[in-house]
Amino acid sequence: MASISIRNLNKTYPDGVEVIDGLNLEIKDKEFIVLVGPSGCGKSTTLRMIAGLEDITGGELAIGDRVVNDVQPKDRDIAMVFQNYALYPHMTVYKNMAFGLELKKVPKDEIDQKIKEAAKVLDLEKYLNRKPKALSGGQRQRVALGRAMVRNPAVFLLDEPLSNLDAKLRTQMRTEISKLHRKLQTTFVYVTHDQTEAMTMGDRIVVLKDGKIQQVDTPENLYNKPANIFVAGFIGSPQMNFINSKVTQEGSKYFIKIDGCTLEIPAGKNKNDILSKYAGKEVVVGIRPEDFHLDQAFIEMAPKSLIDVKIDLTEMMGAEVYCYGKIDDEAIIFRAPSRFRPKEQEEIVVAIDVNKIHLFDKETTESIII
Amino acid sequence: MKDKLNSNRSRTFLAITIPIVILFFVFNTMAVIQGFGYSLTNFKGFGGYDFVGLRNYIDLFSDERIINSYIFTFGFAIICTILVNIISLVLALGLSSKIRAQGALRAIYFLPNILGGLVIGYVFNFFFTYILPGIGEAINSGALSNSLLASPKTAWFALVITVAWQAVALNTLIYISGLQTVPEDVYEAGAIDGAVGFKKFKNITFPLIMPFFTINMVLCMKNFLMVFDQVVSLTGGGPARSTESISFLIYSGGLSGGAFGYQSANAVIFFVVIVTISIFQLRFLNSKEEQL
Repeated sequence: MASISIRNLNKTYPDGVEVIDGLNLEIKDKEFIVLVGPSGCGKSTTLRMIAGLEDITGGELAIGDRVVNDVQPKDRDIAMVFQNYALYPHMTVYKNMAFGLELKKVPKDEIDQKIKEAAKVLDLEKYLNRKPKALSGGQRQRVALGRAMVRNPAVFLLDEPLSNLDAKLRTQMRTEISKLHRKLQTTFVYVTHDQTEAMTMGDRIVVLKDGKIQQVDTPENLYNKPANIFVAGFIGSPQMNFINSKVTQEGSKYFIKIDGCTLEIPAGKNKNDILSKYAGKEVVVGIRPEDFHLDQAFIEMAPKSLIDVKIDLTEMMGAEVYCYGKIDDEAIIFRAPSRFRPKEQEEIVVAIDVNKIHLFDKETTESIII
Repeated sequence: MKDKLNSNRSRTFLAITIPIVILFFVFNTMAVIQGFGYSLTNFKGFGGYDFVGLRNYIDLFSDERIINSYIFTFGFAIICTILVNIISLVLALGLSSKIRAQGALRAIYFLPNILGGLVIGYVFNFFFTYILPGIGEAINSGALSNSLLASPKTAWFALVITVAWQAVALNTLIYISGLQTVPEDVYEAGAIDGAVGFKKFKNITFPLIMPFFTINMVLCMKNFLMVFDQVVSLTGGGPARSTESISFLIYSGGLSGGAFGYQSANAVIFFVVIVTISIFQLRFLNSKEEQL
């Protein structure tokens, strides 16, 4: 069990490409932290630097109290689960799990006991004598988890472990890994590009882009209080709608205009009168797809926040419908209950929940109000 | 329509296959059958001959020259196989690591393979006869001052060096392609488990390139048992018949020694021996291969 301290971490490849730029992160003991971001954002590189599989160009990395910049992977007290499982193809499941312990000269009885315990937890008892090629993708991934478990490491590192599994198995394994974390009470660092995985599994999520941390927060805060346009767009599916607008001021009230409709920004959202700096300036308005409302009761209650939307396309998802349309020539998407399924090309009136809107600085992309 | 397509396909198939089958039969199968026929005669390579039954085969087993050539050839092939596989594995590991000019170095190490065995033999002949003794004299080394080829005790060693120098090229290439089949993340998992250095080679690399080891062992053993070009160009079987390989003996005894029938019997036995060894090697090593 250990915390991880990453201070000013830097990774530059010999060709001069900088993938990680001054990364600072404190991971608490027993925490399940998820690194998430688009391809090439540096999340896997960061994880591989924690594992010791990638040299650190600059900065400091400590696991527990020990700086491990120059410590070999085997001596870092970590275990890693790889995207492609990385099982030893020539060894049986048992041997795959035993290998690391045998190299550490752990007594055979102890190895046997640990493997049997792990196999029981992971439901692998029947497969201990099989080779990886005789296992399904899900079973292989469980073996990879088992191999990590028996090492009893201070830190578990998981590099997109579910991306090769089909959707159903992925959901199943997602809960299994979460349960495993609860059971093992060990620090987990999990890399994924899938925001659903990040949101459902992480105690905290680190959103990365171009080698820089965009925000570190709980899943709830990332969703409700995104720090910038990138995080707001990355977290949430379908993603948040962004509409260009301008802030206007009348006395102490502030308004934004969307497609001819003037919406008053609730005073409670204007903390420290931050909007005074933006009066007359262009901003980006962020509205989550669920913050558009079609039901009559809401429309009657909010006569000042109604807006016309022409529907281009609808997608029936079962419990709800995704409606694609346009406001001010900008494509938007919103969720509607399935009983409200609008027709394509139909013009409908929707109400925007102004209490839930986000405003972002157009230049810095930082959040102004949340 | 389907029938027409099938008949077109079978016509193409036959047009491609039949000439090759005829050529193979005439120049290979016929020759083998004819050779087997001659092995039952006392044919000298010219003139008439009589049928002698299995006499040649019986005589082979008591012919000291033939027994010596078998001992030499097997000893030579085993030493060469071990040496070549060790060197080429080490080279392949080196050439697969992160080094500068990797592509150029791989090309350079492959060069010997494109040269003919005779050419290499004559080049090494010059080297062992003039250059190496010259160096020996310059550094006052008694052992090096004499040509390796001049003594029955050292000539086999010169042959080993020459043959191995060429054979390492192809073996290295095969091992390099084998090493490329090992996934990088398996090595990384190994690094976390503590498999580094020799432990990594022993527990991960070698078991995973075992199929390539099998191929190399079989190819080496077969090629070295059949060593001929380098013997012709380097030692001519000498000195004192000390480097007379079986192939060389079949050739020299059969064509210029007036014992065509007798050496044909030797060739038949040799053929059976090589096939048996290759099958045995394949079976044995295949059983050691990990089914990935």
